This record gives sequence, C-alpha cells and structure tokens, in this order.
Amino acid sequence: GTRINTCTCVLEALNSTCYGSCSRGSTNRETAFRPNEGDSSCPEYILEDGHTVGCVLQAEGDGILSFSIRRGTRPLLAKSQWISSYRKSRPPWRLDLPVAEEAVTVTCSELPHKSLLYEIQYKSTFDPEWQAEEGRSCNVSIPGLDPDKCYFFRARARTMEAAYGPDTYPSDWSEVAHQQRGRRRDSCQEQRLFPRFVLISGAVAFLTV
Amino acid sequence: YDFTDCNFAKIEEEYQNVIFLALKEYMNGIKSTQFNHTVYCGDRPSCLTEIERLTFKSSQCLSLAKKIVTATNATLNSHCPGHSGIQINNTQAMKKRKKREVTTNKCLKQVSNLIELWRYFSRSQ
Amino acid sequence: GESGYAQNGDFEDAELDDYSFSCYSQLEVDGPQHLLSCAFEDPDVNSTNLEFEICEGLLEVKCLNFSKLQETYFIKTKKFLLIGDSTICVKLGGKHITCQKLNIVKRVKPEAPFDVKVIYREEANEFVVTFNTSHLQKKYVKDLLHEVVYRLEKNENDWMHVNISSTKLTLLQRKLQPNAMYEIKVRSIPNTNYFEGFWSEWSPSSHFRTPENNSGKMD
Repeated sequence: GTRINTCTCVLEALNSTCYGSCSRGSTNRETAFRPNEGDSSCPEYILEDGHTVGCVLQAEGDGILSFSIRRGTRPLLAKSQWISSYRKSRPPWRLDLPVAEEAVTVTCSELPHKSLLYEIQYKSTFDPEWQAEEGRSCNVSIPGLDPDKCYFFRARARTMEAAYGPDTYPSDWSEVAHQQRGRRRDSCQEQRLFPRFVLISGAVAFLTV
Repeated sequence: YDFTDCNFAKIEEEYQNVIFLALKEYMNGIKSTQFNHTVYCGDRPSCLTEIERLTFKSSQCLSLAKKIVTATNATLNSHCPGHSGIQINNTQAMKKRKKREVTTNKCLKQVSNLIELWRYFSRSQ
Repeated sequence: GESGYAQNGDFEDAELDDYSFSCYSQLEVDGPQHLLSCAFEDPDVNSTNLEFEICEGLLEVKCLNFSKLQETYFIKTKKFLLIGDSTICVKLGGKHITCQKLNIVKRVKPEAPFDVKVIYREEANEFVVTFNTSHLQKKYVKDLLHEVVYRLEKNENDWMHVNISSTKLTLLQRKLQPNAMYEIKVRSIPNTNYFEGFWSEWSPSSHFRTPENNSGKMD
C-alpha cells in the first residue's frame, strides 16, 4: 500500500502549509489527498516526473490536520496529525556578534514560537569543522576565541522534542557572518596560507627577473 | 475542576524535565505520530482538563505506567490550587494489576494522544 | 525549602546533640538508579543506632530506609519521583529525632568530568582543551556548566578560570608563558532551572607544557 513517509509542514507565522509527500512506490498511479473533513480534493498536488507525489494542504494555526489518500474511491490511508509534529521553522536572521573579553556573544532575531533551541555554529580559518553551542534563546556566549583570527558564524532554530515531538525539521541555516578583531567582515580569507605564500611567491619573482 | 488558576510555568517545567521522559519511556521507541490524534485542546486549561481525563479517568492502561500517573498527580496537586487529584493505590494492588496488563495498541494510542496534549500545553504561550 | 523540626514529646528530656544533616543526590548514577547520600554536619555525632528514612516524593512506596556506610547514609533506588518535596528524618529506636523537607532535584551533585586532554595546534597558536562527562548520556541532568581552571605548576594558588557549557575550549598561546608546565582540571554544576545543586568533585588534573617559542610538546 501507499505510505506517507514525510510530511513537511513549513509553518510561517500566519498560516500553515503542509506538504504531504508519498513514498516513491505510488508514483505511477493518481492518488488523491482529502484535506480536513469532507470530500474536497487536494487543492494543489505536488508532481514529480509527472507523477503525484504529494499535496499542499492549507491549515490554520496549530491544530490537528486530517487527511486521507484514496485510489479512486478506495481509501488507502487516513491520518489525523498535529501539524506542529512536522514543524520546520524559518531560519533566524540578523546575526549580531558583540565581543567582550575574548568571548563573542552571538545573538539573532528570535522566532515568535516557544520551546525552540538555537544552535550556533562557528569556526576559524584553522578549524576543519564547525563547532557548536546551543541555547534556549538566541543569545549564546562563546568563550576563548582569538580576536586576531577571522571567524565564521551561523545560526539555526530547532524545536524541543518535549514540545513538538521527534519528527520536526531544523530550520535552514542563517546567512554566514564573518568577524575579526571585533569587526564584521564580508568574508574570511584562508589566513593560514597567506604568510608562507607571500614568501614563496616573492622568492620565485626574484629568481625569474 | 477549572485549571485556569494553575501555575502553568511550574507544570511545564515538571512536564519537560520528568513527565515527558516517563511518557517517552512508556512508548518505548514507538512514535506518537504512528497513531491518529483524536483529542484536541486549544489552550492550557483545556489541555490540563483533557490530560487529567486521559491520565486518571481512563487509566486502565496507565496503571501500567505508574510513573506517569503519580508524576501527573503530583504536579497538578502542587500547582493547581484546590486540586486534590487521585489517591495512588498501595503497591500490592498495583503489582497484581501489572502482571495482567500488556501494553496494548489501544493503550499506546491513548498515551500517544496524551503526549500530544502535553506537547501542545508545553509549546503554547 | 528546608525547615528542620524535631519530633517533640518523647525526647524532651534527652540532651539533644546537634543532629542537623545535609544531603546530595546523583541521578542515574548506576543505569536508571539514583543515589541520595546524607551525612551529619557535625562529624562528632555518635551515629550508632541512628537511622535515616525518606518519605514522600517516591514512586509506589510511602517511605524508604537508608543504608549506612561508615558515617554516610545512602539510598540507591529508581523510586524517586523527582517532582515535589520529600521529608528525610533521623530516627532513633523507630522515633523521629529530627526531620528536614528537601527537594531531591535541587540537591544534585554531578559526577566529576574526566579524560581531560590538551592538544597544541601550532598553526593556530592555540591549545585545544577537551574533556568528557557521563552526563552527556543521561536523560535527566544533561545540561551542565563546567568550570575549567588552569595554572602554572609553580604558582600554587594562581588559577585562571573559564566557565563553559560545552566540553571544548581553546587557550591562546600568547596568553600563556612560553616553555612552562601548566596544570588543568574541570568540575561541573547543574545548569538548568529545574535541576540545581552543587559542584562536582574536580576531574583528575592534566598537565601540558607550552613551547619555547613555536613548537609545543604534550606531557
């Protein structure tokens, strides 16, 4: 039978749009989503390679959404789910990076929903991977940073399982912000190569003149 | 009982740190989204009304999950003025009933609806 | 809150020693088992025949009796409800001498951090400090604040302090003395509104030497 394996509900502040997508097995047959009560068919199907793979269901606020999948008149699946179980928040924005005594406090615009966790990632040009800190508000202090180094910062929001369940989606990452010596930068050059690179290129230039 | 005057912040704190883990333990890895959600609440007082009903009034399942019943009873009694909750039975009676009951699908559905009520309570302002 | 009260009546005549006591809890210290430990404030109290009992805030039972190991009384159980107050009483011959109301979740003493490592990153001119804590795997007390302290080995009490919530920290080479041996250790305290309590014991110390100028060696 057909199984809904993902239902991505992107909840904007005002309205809720739930994208229901079906497993690939059902691609060559037309499937009908029935949003909420009654028999109104899906207002907007999601197509992939010409096949129906999902439906955009409009839902208001934070409530229970009932929908079903039928083949013709035969019901395949009927579901009633709290929309927020599949929440994906918008990314935080307006990253701010005030510096105080070698600690950068990353702040960003908080989203208008409760029980969110804000994950801050940062790295210097010497770090191969992002390092992470997390807080219940978008005001996370990161100690021990070297003011002379250039750092990348980004933020995203994710929901607390106790309030939304385990099936939600973290937001996309915010834009990356760069900072060095307490001042915002447009980007971080690869600092590590610069000193040696100049030395080598200088020697080459000298040799070839 | 009208739950309007409860200390919601305290209840939320005890739910997030204790009751949530007891509910999760009961579901034993089964996600609540595997069940249909049929019990709705629209604000914190009505959520607590439904939570009390599902937890105490149809507790044939929940006698298995003593921690959920006892913890919910404790938090409502502590933070809802005048709420007396239920008398937690003595151990022997509980032990006898425990042997007969198995976590039925019906009970999992009930607890999954209970989880969703608590979640809505926790995320509402 | 804490309010000590003695059982009046039967003990009025007896000259009452000071039986005040303090307790701390360690949650999930042994799988799902919690540990509650209590000891008299006055080490000189003659504790023979004295027993401890806890009532309320328990699952499926009304009260539990403590076991005793030297001068410490302890309970290891899964039956703490972790909601609301409990009452702990000192008993002599079955009679309550003194009791205290306390909330187990507000007296949590985390387990000490361990595995402190310091790695020198020459290209970045910094030392990366990492350590481990058993609380990362726990369900209840997961969020801790860690205090990292380090000092020049020869400077007895000149500790530098940094508080962090993650288990990784970088120390800038230029902030440390060159060609010197440092000692570093970590301790933890609960860092949530719900679980509160005391500092853990210190982790075992780790030692590292700073490079003379540009090359470093871990000891």
